[in-house]
Amino acid sequence: MSILRPFKAADMFKFNNINLDIWTETYGIGFYLSYLSRWPDLCCVQEAPSGRMMGYVLGKAEGTGAEWHGHVTAITVAPEYRRLSLARKMMSLLEMVSEELYKGYFVDLYVRCANVIAIDMYEQLGYSVYRRVREYYGSLGVGKGGKDEEDAFDMRKPLPRDVNRRSVRPNGRDIIVSRHDVS
Amino acid sequence: MSAAALERQIRPIYDALDTGSNKSAIVACNKLLKKHPKNDLLKSLKALALVRSQKVEESLVLCDEVLEAKPTDDGTLTAMMHALRGLGRHNDMVTMFEEAYKKQPTNEDLGCQTFFANVRANHWKAAHQIATRMFKQFQDDRYLYWSVISAMLQAKDTNTPAAMRPILYKLAHRLIISSPTPSYVNADRFHLHLSILRELDLYEEAQGLLDSDIGKSICATNLSCNEVRRDIWLCQGQLQQEGERARNRIVLMNDRNWLEFLAVLDATLLDAAHPSVPTSTNLGSSKDTLTKIQRAQDLFLDVSKQDRLKDRSGPLALLELERRMRAHGLSQDSTRLITLLKEYFDNFGDKACCFEDLKPFLDLEESDLSQFTIFLQVVPAGFTNVSELRRLINAYKLLRYTLVESDITVDTELERAAAYVKAYFQALPLGVGLPSTELQHADDFALLAGNAYVNIWKLTGNDCHLLNAIYLLEFAVTKSKQSFLTRLILIRIYRLLGAPALALEHYRIMQIKQVQHDTLSHLILSRATAFSLAASGDLTLATECLESTQIYVSNSQETGDFVVRAFQSEKYSQIPEFISFEDQLDNSLQRDTVKIEHLRMRLTHEPISSDIIDMELIELKFIFDRIHYDNRDFAILPNYQPKISRDLNQQTLLFGKPEGHGWLQTFLKVYIRAFQQASDLDDTVEEKLLIGDRPKQTADFDRNLSLRDRLLQQNPSELANLTSDEAKLVEYARALADWLEPYHNYARPPPSVVLAEAAKQTELKTGHPLKGIEIPTINATNGHPKKDEEPPTIQEPPEFVLNYFDGVRARIDDSKSNSSPTELLHVATVAQEAFLLFLVETLRFKSPSVVKINKLSSLVATFNCLRAAAISALKDISAILIKRGESDGSSESLSTCAKIGDSTFASQIDHDFVFIHAKRVADSRRKVLEGVGKGIARICMTYAS
Repeated sequence: MSILRPFKAADMFKFNNINLDIWTETYGIGFYLSYLSRWPDLCCVQEAPSGRMMGYVLGKAEGTGAEWHGHVTAITVAPEYRRLSLARKMMSLLEMVSEELYKGYFVDLYVRCANVIAIDMYEQLGYSVYRRVREYYGSLGVGKGGKDEEDAFDMRKPLPRDVNRRSVRPNGRDIIVSRHDVS
Repeated sequence: MSAAALERQIRPIYDALDTGSNKSAIVACNKLLKKHPKNDLLKSLKALALVRSQKVEESLVLCDEVLEAKPTDDGTLTAMMHALRGLGRHNDMVTMFEEAYKKQPTNEDLGCQTFFANVRANHWKAAHQIATRMFKQFQDDRYLYWSVISAMLQAKDTNTPAAMRPILYKLAHRLIISSPTPSYVNADRFHLHLSILRELDLYEEAQGLLDSDIGKSICATNLSCNEVRRDIWLCQGQLQQEGERARNRIVLMNDRNWLEFLAVLDATLLDAAHPSVPTSTNLGSSKDTLTKIQRAQDLFLDVSKQDRLKDRSGPLALLELERRMRAHGLSQDSTRLITLLKEYFDNFGDKACCFEDLKPFLDLEESDLSQFTIFLQVVPAGFTNVSELRRLINAYKLLRYTLVESDITVDTELERAAAYVKAYFQALPLGVGLPSTELQHADDFALLAGNAYVNIWKLTGNDCHLLNAIYLLEFAVTKSKQSFLTRLILIRIYRLLGAPALALEHYRIMQIKQVQHDTLSHLILSRATAFSLAASGDLTLATECLESTQIYVSNSQETGDFVVRAFQSEKYSQIPEFISFEDQLDNSLQRDTVKIEHLRMRLTHEPISSDIIDMELIELKFIFDRIHYDNRDFAILPNYQPKISRDLNQQTLLFGKPEGHGWLQTFLKVYIRAFQQASDLDDTVEEKLLIGDRPKQTADFDRNLSLRDRLLQQNPSELANLTSDEAKLVEYARALADWLEPYHNYARPPPSVVLAEAAKQTELKTGHPLKGIEIPTINATNGHPKKDEEPPTIQEPPEFVLNYFDGVRARIDDSKSNSSPTELLHVATVAQEAFLLFLVETLRFKSPSVVKINKLSSLVATFNCLRAAAISALKDISAILIKRGESDGSSESLSTCAKIGDSTFASQIDHDFVFIHAKRVADSRRKVLEGVGKGIARICMTYAS
């Protein structure tokens, strides 16, 4: 139960309850505006009836040829609104728009290899690991979780247009690329 | 030298500019300019490098030279664009591009640049004309849409007269339907089209678009278009249809967007909300309403059954329906609301948001309330799993929220605080294994206790309860490092207790950045002058002010670029949003509140001079003329107070007074008036010396009033925002200004003299004369013109001014025995501010020649008496603060507070922990008392004579 609506520039005044969370970065104004000025239909907000923001997703469309796809850049839910399937709803909107409007072949996202809970969730939503990106989150250095903390999984979910399901490969976890090889 | 060779030599200049090596860029420009003295590109690059190194005057001269030459080449135009933007000369930029485009009317890129220059300057009319011309010439549909949205933005502009608006919308409409391709080829064009139709109330035409297959498909995939669609349906009064559509989406597509449920609810109670004939004869329609209610209820029940625990929409819609039925007197079952509440709690009590979900339904009658209370009271206190814990937390929050007046006494609140603390420690083991990046499940109990302690403090006035809150919450953050909510309460309490350094520490840990500075810096900067140590050389808070305002610079530098980008990518739905965002941030109330706060700190630190006065005056006048938006986020504070009491924000405001529009307006008036009297700049001089465009006046005021009239206006609602000490300060400043006004006006040199002096200074600095100013020949005696008229009679200082510092002494006596030093610091810093205002007001008369030529020596004699009295009072205050700082250093007395708490508290948080935090409070207090005390002493010394 929440309102699903477009992300608007003025939401930057309202997102503190989401962004003060450690895993959610607050970027410069330009970051949000650059997404809104190109892919406003891939950016949306979940809002409580009280008007409080619950979470948001920012996405884009990118790639060429058969690599043309929707990409989830940021998806986040405020601590008090977790476990309500909000992320699932926002993802499904983004998938729907990537499919119907952008005619993409798949939707993808990056997730820390150590973030098992998130990986599980994405797998339930139909995503699978396509490849492992070395040192994608290089800034933290190797932490307790070793390489898993700084490497990312590129997870993909095929859209109907990907008839041959090229965005799915069973051995994705073993295919390792450097961060310079990805956009 | 060939063009290619020159280009090779220019490249390093670009590199230097890109890497921020402005100095070397200037050197390189100078070298090449020797060989190519007429090269516009070099001049404009040098101008840009100069702007970036703050050498404004020199840059102005170069810019003027280049503008004169009317350049058309891309490199020069781009460099100039950046330079002029840096100078705030948007109008000149527009002219530059327009001239260039005029010279090369077939250059499409130049056309775009000219259009964008107008966009950046918000010249919508001109933008519209250019886009129209470009469409005719280049036949690209895009330009037609640019002209359409420009017309629309002109209509929206606050400076456009109301009568013009419909004409502009009609123009936009005419243009958009003339488009060779239909608007639905692209969702954003379609959005623009719908928005225009909505403005013109052309609902039928809109409906035509929406009913088409392609219209439907756009609205199904585009949330923004769907938003406009929903709006148009509602404007048309099609609530019934909207309700049906929503019902279909809920049933057929499993849509759980709450907006759809609201649409069903609105449609269901449509007749009850808007009875066509509000009489008892309307039985037919009320029967109809009951049928509809039944239908809605069935729908929501089906959804609830289908979704079970997966989604809260169904049960919540049932609650909302019952609430609305009650409001219209249609409820048939008096127990239903309470049943639904209980059911909801049973099903969703383990969701963190259950409390927030149920809040709107808790305006209960006494019998319902007592039923619900009993229900919640027996929620088992289980601490073995997260779900149990969440239920208990929600029960506690709901119980607290619904407390009635008689339940809220010191004793009951103490009991509650003890229960929350106990639950906190019982719950804590559940989160032992969580990584340090996670929040503890038990945190909410600590937050509840924090709320309770604050409430007890409000009821008793005993600071010990705030200290107890600190000990508990500090303990809670050691267990849950990411709990920003805990830190928010701590920040507020530390400020109340006069320990600002600790508040700042927590604020910094939260890593507030970017736009959050605008919404959250109030936490640390509101009335921060009371804690500023700038006078004694510690600029921590003053720097914090400056850092928090960086975001406004990036806003004015960046947001315009994205408006342009949205034009380029034709995202018309975003353009008005970006513009209003830019405006809202640019005219932020917090921005200018911090500005004033910084000014107050600055005057304690920097010597008061006419330079500071002139510069601040111009800036403050601009601020005074603009409208302000309040973007501050107070909702972020974890407020768990009973709904009948004041909320946590109000309870923990420093000095119990909110800052806001009234506070800002009042302080603006005080400083503008004082600076205006002290300054030699009158409006004509200011006009000549102003660099960049004059900002628009957007504030809401009677345009017939002069600035002086506005400054003298007293608005009781504005004064309500002030503390009593601030109110006294304002009265003092007013009395002082009223008294000295005639002498300032008499002694101020005429504009011609001021301009001549400014021109002289500029020439000395840049080697070029000041543009557009003719220096008159002056009959001067020692630089001061002779006066024909006699000086105004010297009046005795007004009573209020004479007695002000005696009043301050009394206030110091009142506040020095308070256990928290915050009020004492406030009284002291406000008195210091009064003295600084006195210095500003009397600065002009420091010069013996001014006094002599204007025959004001007896006035100056009274100044000396006033100054001596003020300094004597301030010296005493300084001594009191320093002495208090020494005695506040004893942390033992602070740590004993924990004992008046309950036994759980003492058994769980060891004495050392309490003692360490008591000591930190004591140290922070000592530091601020000593620092402010010494600062005042330093000011007394600096301005002793």
